[in-house]
Amino acid sequence: MAKYLLRRLNLFLATSAVLMLVLFLATRMFPVDLGVALTGVEQPTQEQQQQTIKAYALDGSGFSQYVAFLQQRLGGNMGISMTSQQSVAGELVDVLPASFELIIVTSLMALALGIPIGVLAALSNSKATQNVIMALTLTGYSIPVFWLGLSLSLWFGVKLGWLPISGQLNLLYEIPRVTGFVLIDTLIADTPYSMSAFKDAVLHIILPATTLAVFPFTVVVRITRAAMANVMTQTYVRAAEARGLSTAMIVLRHALPNALIPVLKSMGLMLGAFTSYAIVVEVIFSWPGVGAWLVQGIYQRDYTVIQSGIMVVALLIIFMSILIDVLHTATNPLSRKELYATN
Amino acid sequence: MPRISIYQEDHIPSPSRRLWEAFSANPFALAGFWAVIFLLIIALFGPLIAPYSPEMQDPKAMLLPPSWDPAGTVEHFLGTDDLGRDIFSRLLYGAQLTFGMALLIVATALGLGFVIGALSGMTRGLKSSVLSHLLDALLSIPSLLMAILVVAVTGPGLENIFWAVGLALTPQFVRAIHQAIHEELQKEYVTAARLDGANSLQIFWYVIMPNVWDTVIIQTTLAISAAILDIAALGFLGLGAQAPSPEWGAMVSQGVDNLLIAPWLVTLPGLAILFTVLAINLVGDGLRSALTPIRN
Amino acid sequence: MPLLDIRNLSIELDTPHGRVKALEKVSLTLNPGEVHGLLGESGSGRSLLARAIMGIPGHNWTITVDRMMWDGKNLLELDSKERRALMGSDIAMIFQDPSGSLDPARSVGSQIIEAMPRNAELKFWQQKKYKRQIAEQWLHKVGIKNPDDLMEAYPWEISEGECQKVMIAIALANKPRLLIADEPTTSMELSTQAQIFRLLAKLNQVHGVSILLISHEIETLTHWCDRLTVFYSGQVMESGVTSELINSPRHPYTRILLEYLPNEANPHAHKAFMPSLQGSAPALQHLPIGCRLGPRCPSARKQCVAQPLLIHEKDRYCACHFPIRYDENKHDHTAS
Repeated sequence: MAKYLLRRLNLFLATSAVLMLVLFLATRMFPVDLGVALTGVEQPTQEQQQQTIKAYALDGSGFSQYVAFLQQRLGGNMGISMTSQQSVAGELVDVLPASFELIIVTSLMALALGIPIGVLAALSNSKATQNVIMALTLTGYSIPVFWLGLSLSLWFGVKLGWLPISGQLNLLYEIPRVTGFVLIDTLIADTPYSMSAFKDAVLHIILPATTLAVFPFTVVVRITRAAMANVMTQTYVRAAEARGLSTAMIVLRHALPNALIPVLKSMGLMLGAFTSYAIVVEVIFSWPGVGAWLVQGIYQRDYTVIQSGIMVVALLIIFMSILIDVLHTATNPLSRKELYATN
Repeated sequence: MPRISIYQEDHIPSPSRRLWEAFSANPFALAGFWAVIFLLIIALFGPLIAPYSPEMQDPKAMLLPPSWDPAGTVEHFLGTDDLGRDIFSRLLYGAQLTFGMALLIVATALGLGFVIGALSGMTRGLKSSVLSHLLDALLSIPSLLMAILVVAVTGPGLENIFWAVGLALTPQFVRAIHQAIHEELQKEYVTAARLDGANSLQIFWYVIMPNVWDTVIIQTTLAISAAILDIAALGFLGLGAQAPSPEWGAMVSQGVDNLLIAPWLVTLPGLAILFTVLAINLVGDGLRSALTPIRN
Repeated sequence: MPLLDIRNLSIELDTPHGRVKALEKVSLTLNPGEVHGLLGESGSGRSLLARAIMGIPGHNWTITVDRMMWDGKNLLELDSKERRALMGSDIAMIFQDPSGSLDPARSVGSQIIEAMPRNAELKFWQQKKYKRQIAEQWLHKVGIKNPDDLMEAYPWEISEGECQKVMIAIALANKPRLLIADEPTTSMELSTQAQIFRLLAKLNQVHGVSILLISHEIETLTHWCDRLTVFYSGQVMESGVTSELINSPRHPYTRILLEYLPNEANPHAHKAFMPSLQGSAPALQHLPIGCRLGPRCPSARKQCVAQPLLIHEKDRYCACHFPIRYDENKHDHTAS
């Protein structure tokens, strides 16, 4: 197991290094002066220029430049934003929690609804139920997320006026920032209106989270259904039936644990597409997260923001996918079998 | 012993014939199949059918609703936008951009991914490892971020989509093909063929490939639907096709300004995307379930 | 009174080729305390019969039966819940794929403990310890020396033989009156096979468990079973006490099967063909009408296109229009 973890760590480092190389090369291709692309200072003084050359080893060989780039970026120095002249790292800390909040709520929604419906679809014998569920998931899978977001906000936000369609919280509420997660901040805020602010935050997250949840929900339903249908034909399920166990017991004790393993794996594969969708959703609902911030950055040709935004998001994805892989191995005794076989 | 034929022989259809039979037994898949053919025809001949040019502005008919609305006219079947451009014609032209472009990108990515995946799958050791992991880093950059990166380098435009989506899709093909080949290589029938004296090329083409095609086909259908959604999303964000272009995603973003007074400007291109992706997914789903019994 | 009495059970399967009668008018009588062998080629529907008895049919099955009695109770009148309860307590089954019969995602121990009966006198927090004790006792009884190690392991970490022993322990823990063993020793080594059979025989003698042993190996069945039922392609050919069946087969199929048994006397000439039936067992979509052995039977005649009834005669059942007469068999034996 230790060997396996070491190998995963190795993979993480190698992939990250290649990613950084891609970014490093892309930075030199930006249509601005290299120093500006690296630091974000548009009219640098003589002194600043000297400092940049020194920090990024611009007079050294390509390799030493890359190493210096790595040192600066991983050390937390991402330069300053070309538009706001604020530190990019600071802005990132501001926008990341909002994205996490959206993604966590969305994932919970998708899993909490997707797994039971998937199980239901697998266990149901009626052709009609199965067809309806499959048709719904296929449609959900094919729907363009920006269009779905626009339509939902048109109906529920504008025509019916039930839900707010932009931002995280009504601007009237002044909530001190503690964790960065608005849902938590409003709850712990020491103000008389903290409860109503929390309700407002919940209302704000419903539309973006629903829009974003459609895609992972459909994936979870489809994979749970397929895995469940497969597991239910296995001999051990039949053996459990022969032992006189009730269907509910079999599903909970034997079938579901086995069926959820591929679901976990599919979550890892879904990360990339999910992130793309999250960016679009953040833009549509003006959600103050990384995605909206990045897209704003590209509109304004803010190269430092683009670079570090991509770096952080991609690193997070690499980390998450390897984490899911490790979790998958840790929770699944069967994959440990394969490990023994390969070692 | 004499061979006695007691039972009438069952005609055993060829694998492709069986695939088609299983596929066409599913009405949804068949519907998707015809829809895809319909879309292909539109992508090829759309400009010939379209009554107007996509950029022609009719100052007398601005924000005209679709023809089934009392205020609509038959001349502009699906209505017009705020500049008086005919939506129907724009949708027809857009098929070429969104659907045609997706096919082109996937074909390129498939070709590239196939070569790299096959090379890395058939070889062993360091070379294989480098080839297969080289693109893993790209795999972790979602297509949208890749597009942002490409746009940052070259500026927005339709060509960039080609690079952005292509770069995001290629590693998926590489990985899928690499894994499929690698899995097949472990099996006994490959060893048997090798013992029969087949060389690597023969093993690759005659022994392994027939068992890998289904992976390739499934991956391709997945990639086409992903590519369409990505192209549209990029067009919507203004990172891909630019303003006057009739690309469907761009059309949605152009219609957003008039969302409240002319919702059809957003609904129609959105439905076009939904219809296209749904058709592709139906075909992909049908193919997958038709291929599964053959695989087992 | 027989423990299990089935009359004219038919199972129809819905396949892509249409509805197929996989089991046709099968009758089976099982007396308490006996080891009953079910002999037949693979695909002759033995496992279907076992699953029908257990009440775990597949989704595309249609079962019709004239009578299905379990110890005087009519199984047809029970609803599925009562049926499940009965299965849990009175009938147990072990499968031909022992390692697949255990949930791969959970340790063997947790599955054994789950299957142990609860002791009504104990409080619920004492149950687990009690169940573990019982489990270890049973594992010991089925011949596993170090139960602790085994209980820690996952199903794929232990051998097929051990898996089957675990399955037997699980099956017996509820003290069933009938154990259905569906090819319990396929893909096992000979010594392990012998262990399993000896274990089953011991259980039969010590605990009085009736066993329905399903196999295609005529040698093992004739060795271990009190009674045999011979299956061919979903029909019962012949049934009777093992020794009588061997000495005087009445059905042509049984006789040919018996010729496959190694015979030290070697009645055949050197380099002669091994006696065997011509052709092969029919596929499900090409079942012949009437007696399904018909097209391959050496003594088939025109009448064989109608299915022969199972004729009861002196504790023997035989379904053939032209059964072999007793004196014919005698004659054969003297000749050899």
